[in-house]
Amino acid sequence: MDLGLIIYALNLASIYALMAIGISILWSSVGMINMAHGATFATSGYAAWFVSGALKPAIAATFGKTVMASVMMASVVMLSAVLAGAFCGAVIYALAFLPIHDKPNYSVRSLIITLALNIGVVQSLLWYFGPRNRGLPKVFGFGRWELLDTKIRYDQAGTIVGASLVMILTLAWLRYSRRGLEVRAMMQNAEGAAYSGISRQATALPVLMLTGALAGVAAALLSQTIFVSPTAGVIPLVKGLTIALLGGLGSVSGAVAAAILIGFLEAIVGVIPFLGQRYVMFATFSFIILVLIFRPRGIGGLLDNTRE
Amino acid sequence: MPEILRIKQLSAGYGPLRVLHEIDFTVSEGERIGLVGLNGHGKTTLIRAITHMTGWQQGSIKLDGEEIGGTRSLGAGRRTAALVKKGIAVAPQGDAIFPGLSVRKHLECGAHTKLAWRNRRRRIDEILQIFPPLRSLQHNLVGKLSGGERRMVSVGRMLMSDARLYLIDEPSLGLAPKISQRVMDALWALPVTGAMIIAEQNVSLLSGRADRILGMHAGRMRGDIGHVELN
Repeated sequence: MDLGLIIYALNLASIYALMAIGISILWSSVGMINMAHGATFATSGYAAWFVSGALKPAIAATFGKTVMASVMMASVVMLSAVLAGAFCGAVIYALAFLPIHDKPNYSVRSLIITLALNIGVVQSLLWYFGPRNRGLPKVFGFGRWELLDTKIRYDQAGTIVGASLVMILTLAWLRYSRRGLEVRAMMQNAEGAAYSGISRQATALPVLMLTGALAGVAAALLSQTIFVSPTAGVIPLVKGLTIALLGGLGSVSGAVAAAILIGFLEAIVGVIPFLGQRYVMFATFSFIILVLIFRPRGIGGLLDNTRE
Repeated sequence: MPEILRIKQLSAGYGPLRVLHEIDFTVSEGERIGLVGLNGHGKTTLIRAITHMTGWQQGSIKLDGEEIGGTRSLGAGRRTAALVKKGIAVAPQGDAIFPGLSVRKHLECGAHTKLAWRNRRRRIDEILQIFPPLRSLQHNLVGKLSGGERRMVSVGRMLMSDARLYLIDEPSLGLAPKISQRVMDALWALPVTGAMIIAEQNVSLLSGRADRILGMHAGRMRGDIGHVELN
C-alpha cells in the first residue's frame, strides 16, 4: 500500500470519526439518535462560507496580502463553523429534547423530530442559497509536500492533524473535566447517574453543543476537499451513523476504530481495478452488515469496558 | 427531634399494578431505621417511590417538611437527580454502578454538591478507610470488581455527599455473611447527620442496632415490630 492511499484513507477516517463520535456520545448519554446531525454539518459549512465571505474585505483591508491575512481567514472559517455547529446543537436541544424528554417514547419521538428538522433545514438552505456549490477559503493554504515520492496536499495533512487534535481534546475533556465525568457516568448507567444527582436535562445541552461543534469542525475540514452544498450533510450523516453503529453505539474508541477501518476499506476498494469508486458504498455497507451479524453490539466491546 | 421524612397515605405501583397500599410513617433526625419484609412485599418499591424511580398514585412524601413532587409522580427517574440534589442519597438494589470508571472516579461521581466536590479527595480517603479492601483497588475499573466490592463502591458513592436521608436497599443481598456484616458495621459506624433507612431481609443484621425496625407485609406497613426474629 502506498503512502498516498494511506493519507487518503486517514483523511476519510478523520471526517467520519468526527461525525461518528458525536452521534455515539449523544446516543449513549442523551438517548437521542440525532438525524439533524447532517443539517448541522451543512449549516456549519454555510455559516463558514457566509461569515468568511462577509469578513473577507475587512481582513483584506487590514492585513493586505500577508500571512496574517490567511491565518485570520482560516480562524474565521474554523471558528464560525464550530460556533454554528454548537448553536445548531442548542437549537436541537430546544426543539427536539426539552419539550419531549419526559414523555414516553422519547427516543423515537426525538428521532422523528430531528429527522423533520434535518429535512426542513436542508430544504431551507436549498431555498435560500440555491443548489450551487460554494467553495470555502483554504484553511491550510494551497500546496503540497513531497514525502517518499508521494505528494501530500496541505488540506489532507491539515484535516488529519486537525481532526486528531479535536478528538484528543474531546477525549481529554470527557476524561478529566467534571462535566465530562458526568457525561461518562450518564453513558454507562443512567439510573446510577440519577442517584448521583446527574440529570439528563443538565447534561443534554453541553453534549448537544459539543457534538454539534464536532460536526462543525468536520464540515469546515471536509469543505477543504469538496464543496459546501445544502445536501452536503447527507453522506456524512449516513456514514457517521453507520460507523457509530459499527463501533458499538456508546463507545468512543470503538467509533474511532470503526472510522479508521471504514476509511481504509473505502480507500482500498476505490483503487481495486475491477471494483473502483462506484462499489465503495456497496462494499462499506456489506462490511458493516456482516460485522453486525456476527457482533450485534459492534466492535466497541473489544476495545473498552464502558459497557458490561 | 426534627422530622426528616414524612410519608402519608402513599400508594404506589407499576402501571395498573398497585404494590404499596396507604403507607404512613415518619423518620426523625438521627434515626437509623430498619425496613424488613420478605421478598416482593414492597421494600424496594417504597425506596424507589421515595426517589421517584417508581410512579405513585396517591399520597404525599415530605422531605424536611417540603412536599417532593406533589401527589402524583411521573416515575421512571425523571426527577430523581433533582431529589438527590435536595438531600437524598441512595445505594440502590443492583448497585447501579458505572462499569467503565475507576473506583476513585466512581466515588467522585457521588460528590455532587459544591462542598463535597471541593473536599472530594479527603472524602474518598475517608471512604477508603471505612472499606479497607477498596484501598488496593482504587485505580481498578468498577466493572471488574466482585459483588461485595461493588456494594462497597455503591455505598461509598452514597456517602460522598452530605445528604439528609440515606436509603440503602438490601446491603446484604448476594453477599457472603462475613462481607455483608462488614458493610453493615460500616453503616453503623458512620457519623450520620440526617437519617438512614436500611431495607433488609435479614433481621439479625439489624436487630439490636436499628432505632426502629418497621415490618412490611403485602405492601402495607406493619409498624414497629421491635427487635424480634421475623419468621
